[in-house]
Amino acid sequence: MIAVENLRKRYGKTQAVDGLSFTVEPGRVVGFLGPNGAGKTTTLRILLGLVRATSGQATILGKSYAQLERPFCQVGAVLEASGFHPGRKARNHLRVLARAGHAPKTRVDEVLKIVGLEGAAKKRVGGYSLGMRQRLALASALLGDPGVLILDEPANGLDPEGIRWLRDTLRSLAAEGRAVLISSHVLAEVEQTVDEVVIINKGKFVAHGSVEELTRGAEKRVRVCSPQAETLKKHLITAGLKIDEDGDALLVTGGTSSQIGEIAAKSQVILHELIPLATQLENVFFALTTEEQG
Amino acid sequence: MIASLSSEWLKLRTTRTIFWLLVALGAVITLSVVAGVITNDKERISSPHDQLDLLGIGLLALLIALIMGLIVSTGEFRHGTITPTLLATPSRASVVISKAIAGMLFAVALVGLAEGLVAIELAIVLPAKGVAFAIQSGPAAAFVGRILIAAALWGAIGSGLGIVIRNQIGAVVTCFVWLFFAEGLINAILRSHAIGSHAGRFFPLQATGAILDTGARNPADMLGRVSGIAVLVGWMLLATFAALVLLKRRDVS
Repeated sequence: MIAVENLRKRYGKTQAVDGLSFTVEPGRVVGFLGPNGAGKTTTLRILLGLVRATSGQATILGKSYAQLERPFCQVGAVLEASGFHPGRKARNHLRVLARAGHAPKTRVDEVLKIVGLEGAAKKRVGGYSLGMRQRLALASALLGDPGVLILDEPANGLDPEGIRWLRDTLRSLAAEGRAVLISSHVLAEVEQTVDEVVIINKGKFVAHGSVEELTRGAEKRVRVCSPQAETLKKHLITAGLKIDEDGDALLVTGGTSSQIGEIAAKSQVILHELIPLATQLENVFFALTTEEQG
Repeated sequence: MIASLSSEWLKLRTTRTIFWLLVALGAVITLSVVAGVITNDKERISSPHDQLDLLGIGLLALLIALIMGLIVSTGEFRHGTITPTLLATPSRASVVISKAIAGMLFAVALVGLAEGLVAIELAIVLPAKGVAFAIQSGPAAAFVGRILIAAALWGAIGSGLGIVIRNQIGAVVTCFVWLFFAEGLINAILRSHAIGSHAGRFFPLQATGAILDTGARNPADMLGRVSGIAVLVGWMLLATFAALVLLKRRDVS
């Protein structure tokens, strides 16, 4: 559905995207991850015909965005929460886009309801919070009832309830057979939402696979807090475990929480916290992008 | 193209900018009409020709049409709405042409309203001063028709320049400097004895003067009406073409 092939984009001396290739299949939610400046937004903008690639191809449904018959109704996009005239009411913003994009008028009220903005539809966008703007941006993307969704940091500015709503919405959209490509830097959030991830760094492809595939075999980390941290650290290092410090806490790699607990008990060290870190994707992400940087 | 044009027209109607511009225009026109009638002797505003000159107060709307074209186009970049605009209409040529046509239609509507307001106010204020309303429909229609042609072209020029310059304040200041200072200065230099050129006739404001018969009194310094229209059409095409080329070449990021 979405295919990026050997894509390159150069801005002066900066190679923003460097030979990137990946695909997104229907019914899948794919996370598009990378550190700031990795080339995520540039890639998404090339896919949508807003930025010209230096070389390579970025197609949706086998065509470039501009070549699609009714692009707005085939591809929905959220690129930023700032593409609104502050003096225009939300409903009018959607009416403007619906007219230009050949979306049915009736969709305006439908999408306002989907994103939970029906009560604020007649309010000028200048008075919207960032979270409300994100919802309006998503409403714009859904106007044409598209089969493909491309979302750049859609969780920015959303409160916890909004994030849960976004997660559920994306899952249900994918369940309807749509392909969803979502870039984000909130890794813990992405991990709960996506089926697969594409990781890039410095414009280059780093990894592509399901969260399970990428995290399988990854070293697990445990967060440990103790009033005798220095003593514990020595015993853990002696046991062959790797230690990183995170403020007052120790981040232990290479051992399970039960192993660490046993070492602490044998050494008569008091523990205040012993928490296995659940966000494995974050570990994989940092490991992969740090390797690349190195 | 029709969908894009319809969308551009809706954009124009759905912000408060147009409301405040109309209020400002209405206030300035009313003040100008009242002042024009009160400060002149009865003899100087009695003939149909004199009253036709008063009808020219509506020309103020030309400037508003230009500014509105600039604001609407530069606003796309200022507020970032160019991104959803190009997502809904990926053809950049369609966007530029739609904006130019919407600018033309808006300018015609605005100037039509302004001239209607001037005519209504004159019909009220002139008799109040004891002067009969003597504007004849034929000459008035011809005069207003010429203003509408100029307005349409200036509306499209504003839309094009707004895409070329992008910075809202920069675009408005550039146009004001050109209209109120640079064009007159350059024209005067060209016409000076040292150079002796009549090339200034081809400048946009001079061409507008030729269309409206409000330009230079020396025939050598002014084009004919039809030539004036042709030259202003040329400026409009130049602004639109420049907008098209630049929008096509630029990345929207």
